[in-house]
Amino acid sequence: MRKFLLLLLVLCAVAGCTNGPPSNNNTKKKLTIAVIPKGTTHEFWKSIHAGSNKAASELSAQGTEVEVIWKGPLREDDREQQIQVVEGFTAQGVSGIVLAPLDNRALVRPVADADRAGVPTVIIDSGLESDDFVSFVATDNRKGGTLAADRMGQLLNGKGKVLVLRYAEGSASTTEREEGFITQIKAKFPEIELVSTDQYAGATRDTAKRASENLLNRFGDVVQGIFTPNESSTAGMLLALQDIGKAGKVSFVGFDSSQTFIDAINANQLHGIVVQNPFNMGYLGVRTMVDSLLGKPVEKKIDTGVMLVTKENLQSPEVSALLHPPLDQYLK
Amino acid sequence: MVDLKQNLNRLGPVLGLLLVIGIFSLLVDTPGRLLSPNNLRIVLSQTVIVAIGGIGMTLIIISGGIDLAVGSTIALTGVVTALAINAGLPPAVALLSGILVGGFVGVVNGLVITRLKVVPFIATLGMLGVARGVAKWLANQQTVNMPGTWLNELLVMFPKPSWLLVAPGVWITIILAVCAAIVLRNTVFGRRVFALGSNEAAARACGIATDRLKIWIYGIAGLLFGLAGVMQMSRLRQGDPTVAAGSELDIIAAVVIGGGSLSGGEGSILGSMIGALIMAFLRNGCQQVGWPNYIQEIIIGAIIVVAVAIDRWRSRA
Repeated sequence: MRKFLLLLLVLCAVAGCTNGPPSNNNTKKKLTIAVIPKGTTHEFWKSIHAGSNKAASELSAQGTEVEVIWKGPLREDDREQQIQVVEGFTAQGVSGIVLAPLDNRALVRPVADADRAGVPTVIIDSGLESDDFVSFVATDNRKGGTLAADRMGQLLNGKGKVLVLRYAEGSASTTEREEGFITQIKAKFPEIELVSTDQYAGATRDTAKRASENLLNRFGDVVQGIFTPNESSTAGMLLALQDIGKAGKVSFVGFDSSQTFIDAINANQLHGIVVQNPFNMGYLGVRTMVDSLLGKPVEKKIDTGVMLVTKENLQSPEVSALLHPPLDQYLK
Repeated sequence: MVDLKQNLNRLGPVLGLLLVIGIFSLLVDTPGRLLSPNNLRIVLSQTVIVAIGGIGMTLIIISGGIDLAVGSTIALTGVVTALAINAGLPPAVALLSGILVGGFVGVVNGLVITRLKVVPFIATLGMLGVARGVAKWLANQQTVNMPGTWLNELLVMFPKPSWLLVAPGVWITIILAVCAAIVLRNTVFGRRVFALGSNEAAARACGIATDRLKIWIYGIAGLLFGLAGVMQMSRLRQGDPTVAAGSELDIIAAVVIGGGSLSGGEGSILGSMIGALIMAFLRNGCQQVGWPNYIQEIIIGAIIVVAVAIDRWRSRA
């Protein structure tokens, strides 16, 4: 009995202290779109959140009431938790789900279940090995690699020795960037020699730095250009170059953005970064979902754009909008 | 009067569950959504892993022990099952190998506890690290993807023969729970488990081979944790060596909320199953109401503390 009373007390206390607005009033025309990121703290996901909110407020202004519900997995990078979030929204009967799957296989079943329960899904950011979704809205990674290769060719005037430090085995998005880079170098700059393309940076900045040190120890004297395909590998390579005093002496093109990279660009230690557009990804993810719900035809695959950022265009309005999306405006 | 109090004690978890369902049904803006067939399917599927683990954990906790290695065992057995499928073994053999590896981990726990005289808390704390490490090693520090088999269908929302209504894994859990409840109540083994947890010295004096009994208990619980691992793999459709970190705490909480006493000798399968359902409904309800993740964590944390506080109060009284 006492147990029961205490339970009651706790629940009432919690229920009492959260007088937040009710999540969604199901007026008939209102569309509720659940947006599920891989995590919630990283800047990248905040941009996606802001982009989703922008789409919702634009659509609402145009007469289609749209509400975005933003919810990540309880523990970041935990597939089981993300599955539970998808299942929860399926049961809740939202109009549609916009999902950045933590894994290209683990989320196949929940997305299929959602589809069977009448809740369509748009996949953003990373692929899913399934056909049960409406559209795949993500960065064209191959194009990102191609952009990096063009920059490298320009920096080296079309000849020299280049190494690629790959990210991790089995990571689809980064593999496409690496292949995009290598294919373009081979096709367009035949005089550039790829001295190493089979080394992997591993998951963290720390492993990336170790791999970079080993690679530079072996090829440091001959290599004139370096490409790394994501944030941690770029950061690790940058640290390794700075440690041995070679930063700025080799042409270095990386991927993704952070304040460290922008400082490095200003210091001429990094000569280009290919940047994705998460704000646009969140925006297009929600727009595509709503278009599909309204019966408009949508593309099965939608590119959210990549851009090369260098010292020359760092101050341009286009780049600063990309590097500093209007988070404050759309996230209260 | 004593009878009344005992009955209320037994009814406590049921009332708790009804209360959780009642409160969230009121908070969700479409009444009935919480109890809609689709949502019930989901909650039941989500409960399976904690519930199967809870059956094994109930045995252990009644006997006065504890097992902190459940989460790691789930990860390890999931990886083993996925690897077995990849090695071309039939799914049934893969399933069996996952369960047996779980049983092996349990027997090792039992041996460490009885032969090396290490208290269960420390023995299984050690296993928590060892099993997790072995899982990552076997999986080559990656997730193990495997071709689809019927094992993947164990916890789907819409089961294949639709007359099953809920996922096959839910039925397996119910059958196991009923069997375990009967064994605990009506067999010599069951009575001995209670005797061991109530007073180990007395149990030994009565001629029970307590060491051997403990190894059996941890071994049987291990088999159940192995099955929970297969269920986890079925949900993810891959063997993930990093999965279920911290789920031992969910499982222990389910047993304790359901009336299990950490000082041993008390607990019931039905209570633990209800405890598992309470946790699942709390998670699900918080999301349906639209509360952020941190509120869920606060509530579940608070409930665990409250349940253990009641356990302490009861064992004093």
